[in-house]
Amino acid sequence: MPAKNPVADFSAYPAEREITLTRVFDAPRALVFNAWTDPALLKAWWGPKHFTNPVCEVDARVGGAWHIVMRAPDGTEFPCGGVYREFVPPERLVFTNNSVDKQGRPMIDGLTTVTFAEQGSKTKLTLQTRGVARVDYAAAFLVGMEMGWTQSLDRLAQQLPQS
Amino acid sequence: MNLDAAFAALADPTRRAILARLASGDASVSELCEPFAMTQPAISKHLKVLERASLISRGRNAQRRPRHLEPAPLKEIADWVDHYRRFWTESLDHLDEYLKELQTKEKKRARKKSRR
Repeated sequence: MPAKNPVADFSAYPAEREITLTRVFDAPRALVFNAWTDPALLKAWWGPKHFTNPVCEVDARVGGAWHIVMRAPDGTEFPCGGVYREFVPPERLVFTNNSVDKQGRPMIDGLTTVTFAEQGSKTKLTLQTRGVARVDYAAAFLVGMEMGWTQSLDRLAQQLPQS
Repeated sequence: MNLDAAFAALADPTRRAILARLASGDASVSELCEPFAMTQPAISKHLKVLERASLISRGRNAQRRPRHLEPAPLKEIADWVDHYRRFWTESLDHLDEYLKELQTKEKKRARKKSRR
């Protein structure tokens, strides 16, 4: 429904929770796929400009975890990681990725799907990241609160005179 | 923040327009009906969706109950999209350079071997 009055442009705000990027790499599919799952290769390219990855651990299988610590040029470290949901070499990878922003606050989690398609001697990569709710954080927070309470109650119980 | 609700709320152009209107100041339901040429129940329905997504809140004034834009969830979504787009774009740039480098090394090694 068009508005009668001119209103501020809200199209700048994303209505979609998905980001899709496509790239064609001049490399065979098996190599491109390996670059995502072999930690020795993965640590060489993962992350923004001028970042290094002092920690890169990959348990490449469905249900396996990946964990990378990125180091910014100023030395600040940004841990990120997730779990593989699908692992189909050399075609398809689906994994969760959680990360923190510059202030160290957890960002919205992402569910990332990467597909690798052969295009002659080249490889077409399609990456789709979808925002998912931070269920894990909320659960961890609640568990932490509960544990905090239990410990406080334990301490309190110890301080109380035994009857 | 309920991400599903926030994205569902933002998917509708009328609701985005309502948010845009509220960005320029609080407004009551009847004030919102006017620019959108919509009935009050129709607007109320959209407002409910926005409220459930924590994108707007209601003012205290009992008669007008002006709706107020809550920018925090919008900022979080916009930040997320920015952050991930930049992260992946730069990572894929690196991957491209790295694959070229790997293959150049591989070719050199193959040439050395064939010379032997």
